[in-house]
Amino acid sequence: MNTVDFLNLLVSALLLAGVYAAMSVGMTVIYGVMKIVNLAHAGFLMLGAYFVFEVNERLHLDPLLGVLLAFPVFYFIGITLHWLMVRRIPRSDQPTLSSLLLLFGLWLVLQNLGYMIWGNSDRAILTPRTFSTMQIGPIIFPTVRLVVFGAAVFSLAALEFVLHKTWFGRAVRVLMQNPDAGRIVGVNVDRTARIAFGVGIAFAGTAGGMLAMMYSFTPDFGGSFMLRAFVIIVLGGLESFSGVAIGAVILALVETFSILVIPSGYQPAVAFSLLVVALVVLPNGVAGLWNKRQRWA
Amino acid sequence: MTATATNTGNTSPLVRSAVLGIILLIVTAALPLAGLGPNSIRLMFVTLVWLTASVAWNLLGGFAGQVSFGFAVFYGLGAYTTAIAYNSGLDRFASIILSAGVALVASFLIGLPTFRLKGPYFAIATIGVSEAVRVIMTNLEITGGASGYRIMERGAFNQRLHFYIALALAAVAVAASMLVRYSKLGLALISIREDQDAASDLGVDPFRTKLLAHALGAALTGAAGGVFVGYAAFIYPQGVFGFDISVAILLMPTIGGVGTVWGPVIGAVVYGFVQEELIASFPQFHLLLYGALLILIILFEPGGVLGLFQKLYYFVRARTSIGSHS
Repeated sequence: MNTVDFLNLLVSALLLAGVYAAMSVGMTVIYGVMKIVNLAHAGFLMLGAYFVFEVNERLHLDPLLGVLLAFPVFYFIGITLHWLMVRRIPRSDQPTLSSLLLLFGLWLVLQNLGYMIWGNSDRAILTPRTFSTMQIGPIIFPTVRLVVFGAAVFSLAALEFVLHKTWFGRAVRVLMQNPDAGRIVGVNVDRTARIAFGVGIAFAGTAGGMLAMMYSFTPDFGGSFMLRAFVIIVLGGLESFSGVAIGAVILALVETFSILVIPSGYQPAVAFSLLVVALVVLPNGVAGLWNKRQRWA
Repeated sequence: MTATATNTGNTSPLVRSAVLGIILLIVTAALPLAGLGPNSIRLMFVTLVWLTASVAWNLLGGFAGQVSFGFAVFYGLGAYTTAIAYNSGLDRFASIILSAGVALVASFLIGLPTFRLKGPYFAIATIGVSEAVRVIMTNLEITGGASGYRIMERGAFNQRLHFYIALALAAVAVAASMLVRYSKLGLALISIREDQDAASDLGVDPFRTKLLAHALGAALTGAAGGVFVGYAAFIYPQGVFGFDISVAILLMPTIGGVGTVWGPVIGAVVYGFVQEELIASFPQFHLLLYGALLILIILFEPGGVLGLFQKLYYFVRARTSIGSHS
């Protein structure tokens, strides 16, 4: 492998990392605030993909506009589902049987609704952008990847801004660090949880739309990406936003470069192997390693 | 859900459960002799295999509250192990025991890295493991890959033999579940479910306890897979490692009443008898129904069928006792 090939792979890995981070961060928001693993994440990724597809097909809107539109729509779906179901299960400081089974059931329902509505044939969103490429020096990459990367980074920056500059963001961060202290200083736990759930679902929907611009999809499409999101948040230590970014970069690099050595049939197992390594070697994620380092220093 | 401790030297719940179990066992064993047709026996066979897996899942998922989405791994490994062992000349029973052993070892591979940690790691890992194992089995050449594997039956097919093997295994599973529930191990598991930190303060080792329950559940599920393949004679990865197998195995205890001895049995009987009908009439959307059922049960009656009965019982008793007092 020469330098140009290496640079090409590196750039495509980093572009991929952007959308990986966007698709995982929703899970972190929900887990951080409510200690619920959103197993329905895959369903919302899939719904996001079909939402953007339908908006493109019926209203002839640009998929990017569709992705932007997906955010409020899925936010609304999220807070509705929280009101209908999620708030009714007992609150806990660790994932419970009821929360896992509830969201798992929701995933089954969403996925099979997808099959019911759209069938199981492959769909793709095609725009003039899809097949064009860009070239910077010796590095060539598809335009759509850069566009999606831009959208992902923009959404992550917006989330970062909200988390650090607004009351809601502060409430989210205090609930992640110390829920009791949050309650003492007057954080409305239910309201924060509802908004956080909405934001988590909104990110799943938009990320699904972004992924749909890059890949073809079926109603089963969310599952493999949810597995990747698991790997990323475990690598990131479950409750850390910077951890998500680091996890996304690691997974994207490993996946991109493993194409060189691992037969394609076994490709889906790559993400999982990384999950096992992460669990055995760094159970608290890369961020945990970082914290430990800081504590020693 | 509070644990009702029975540490006062009073073993009556165990005895009562055991008596009920023995009666059910005798009745079920007598059914094929009472002139049941081959199709009914087949349905009962399938239900008994499901029942074993359901009770096995409940050992860890119900008593200790550790949800596994990957019990199809053990079921599939058990099925493949028995098929391969039997084809290479091993005795039927030895093959099934070998299946249990293989599943047990596999359970350690999942449990060792994840049970050390607090949090959702185990549940997440089980989803990953079942995906990975299915991918590997679909690509593995020696077991025929995606096209499946056939078992070569020696001698004539005897349906009753298969039925009684399944019944024996189901009885072992239910007996194990009773013994666990009414022993120190059961109390340890329940205390982990309620509050892991408090449990370890009281001297329970959460890591070892969960590992043990997981291993027991896996071995029983592996044996169930082995029993099933003896009857089915043909297996393929999507069939025995399939996502819907994992879904079914966690759905049954939830229907019947998670964390109880008889809940998973009730759930398996309900599921076993309706599932073929369901799959036949909704070939595409039975998973949609399962999902909706999970949501409804968790939201409205987390105790399942058993919980519903209990509520009805208390309701009726409260009604009548008010009457007698006034």
